[in-house]
Amino acid sequence: MNLNIGWLYPDLMSTYGDRGNIITLNFRSQKRRIETKIHKISLLEPGESILQMDLLFMGGAQDKQQEIVNQDLQKNKGGYLEKAIFAGTPSLNVCGAYQFLGNYYLAADETRIKGLGIFDLYTKSPGLNFPRCIGNLIVESYILPGVKLVGFENHGGRTYVNDRNLIFAKVLKGFGNNGEDGQEGFIFKNAIGTYLHGPILPKNPELADWLIEKALERKYGKKIKLAKLDNYFENKAKETIIKRYT
Amino acid sequence: MIFLIFLSKMVLFFSRVFRLGSGSTWPGHMTLRIDPEIIEKIIDLNKDLKIIVVAGTNGKTTTTSLIKHALNKLGYKVFSNSEGANLINGIASAFLKNSNLAGWLDYDYAVLESDEFTLPLLLKKVTPRVVFILNLFRDQLDRYGEVNTIALKWQNCLKALPKETLIILNGDDPQLYFIGKNLRQKKEFFGVKNDLMKIKKIPHDVDFNYCPSCFSLLDYKSISYAHLGDFICKKCGFTRSSVNDFAEDMINYPLEGLYNIYNTNSVYLFIKKLFKVKAQRFNQLMKDFQPSFGRQEEIIYKKRKVFLLLSKNPAGFNQSIKTVINILKGQKANFLISLNDRIPDGQDVSWIWDVDFRPILEKAKSVFVSGDRLYDMVLRLEYESAKKNLIPIENLKMAVESSISRLDAKEKLFVLTTYSAMLEVRKILVGRKLL
Repeated sequence: MNLNIGWLYPDLMSTYGDRGNIITLNFRSQKRRIETKIHKISLLEPGESILQMDLLFMGGAQDKQQEIVNQDLQKNKGGYLEKAIFAGTPSLNVCGAYQFLGNYYLAADETRIKGLGIFDLYTKSPGLNFPRCIGNLIVESYILPGVKLVGFENHGGRTYVNDRNLIFAKVLKGFGNNGEDGQEGFIFKNAIGTYLHGPILPKNPELADWLIEKALERKYGKKIKLAKLDNYFENKAKETIIKRYT
Repeated sequence: MIFLIFLSKMVLFFSRVFRLGSGSTWPGHMTLRIDPEIIEKIIDLNKDLKIIVVAGTNGKTTTTSLIKHALNKLGYKVFSNSEGANLINGIASAFLKNSNLAGWLDYDYAVLESDEFTLPLLLKKVTPRVVFILNLFRDQLDRYGEVNTIALKWQNCLKALPKETLIILNGDDPQLYFIGKNLRQKKEFFGVKNDLMKIKKIPHDVDFNYCPSCFSLLDYKSISYAHLGDFICKKCGFTRSSVNDFAEDMINYPLEGLYNIYNTNSVYLFIKKLFKVKAQRFNQLMKDFQPSFGRQEEIIYKKRKVFLLLSKNPAGFNQSIKTVINILKGQKANFLISLNDRIPDGQDVSWIWDVDFRPILEKAKSVFVSGDRLYDMVLRLEYESAKKNLIPIENLKMAVESSISRLDAKEKLFVLTTYSAMLEVRKILVGRKLL
């Protein structure tokens, strides 16, 4: 078996150790003898290549980088991304990428920056005098009941989801989407949007495996049960954070 | 005034007697609460004192001590906020500690290292003769915020300086070169010679290789490390010129590593321009320079050599790794990596995934891992290489002791750590706390 993994804007959207997610998908696939090929898809690559991917990842960035990416998404790649996500391609979108997929971003000066409108949500800057949401974040995801996911969040924008059935996780510690409603992230078909970085996948192997499994099931059209791996250090790293807050 | 200085000296005295630390921040902290303008008032009394400010993500402490060393050798009296106390309270402490009760400073120069965030505030309080802007890398985003935001803040506070201030900037850094070019102050750029730019492909620890002028993709003819190099924008033509790389000057560099060639070149540029000192004399001045604590510092412990390299962000860590590999010249070695996530380290440890650890894993007999977040580091290393030479030990003292006990007589231990972890390791090795 093999997987084509598309890494969107690795040179621009890669501020919070996001490479770790790609390394993890690669590592955990190869441990099970699933061949992987990583495709870097940035400004110069054609948007069509997104449709060839079995799994997609896009990370977070700083404001200037996001501006450049948003332009490219609006002009060139957004339509392909929408097609891939609606067709059920598993995808992980962290922080800035998560915000892009929503309907719009309302900046501090009230300007409305158009999003891709793939996720039915919007993000709002609370204004310059409000602090960013920064710190360790612990959540429990509705797609992985009983499993705690840990990571770090650092975002100014507050995200509001219209349909509560499409929430990705419940916040146990931290801010999550907006620090008000105890909810975190968004899930639509097999596409996940979240504020969890850290990066998210190394310490949360359950989610990494969920993405790999979904990608294989979709590609090979059958139920896939991945071989179990020894997650000793993954769990130790996760427990370090959970223990601190319990 | 006298009362305040007296008070601060008492605080300093008691904090030393009762071992509350070396007193590098407390006297300033308390005095500033009573009189927020204490630094300005002391400077007013010492009109002849010349001030030099050093800012940048990496290399501040080393560059500050290089400047201090060179000026001392040239016969000047210099004080600085050594020990890395680079917030306003640490800088105030340095002024209070070095003045007499009347507020007089018997010094020619104050060399002040400034934290990235503190620079705008500091430049409102002091008017420096020279400002060093060493580099700007991504560092502790949870604390400092975005690189672009810092660049903008720096640009604004540099703009407001008097025209006579000399600003020395890294000309191999596109963003800093762009800021420098647009300043009306006197400015000079430093860099490194072309032979030292060996990288042709953009490395992973660069997070912005776009033109600071028109925001299209920058081209590099060659790169020294991270985003530092010989750049050109094919769209708007933005490129560097008149960068002092000292290719013709035979400088003996007192410290290992490409990043220290940058630091040393910035200091040489300053000494050469202001004191007409040439390379040969500069080499003499720097001959007996000793590194600052934890920055390539060598400590002998139980007859074994331990080499400490503070490594706190992707660009810095990658440079530490390259330096160690150069020192080793093919030999194997032992390593201890300690990762903490306290306030001075940055609470977000995600940056370790942007460091390229492979060279260490290939050269290591064993890699001991410790610190508050050791398992994050173990995971990072395990996912990089299948080799099973990782030894996690939660207790740092035990990790230090067992990594050293494994060394043969001539082997060295290389310790790469974040800031607070470095202080802890140093305390274990030297027996007392420095800060």
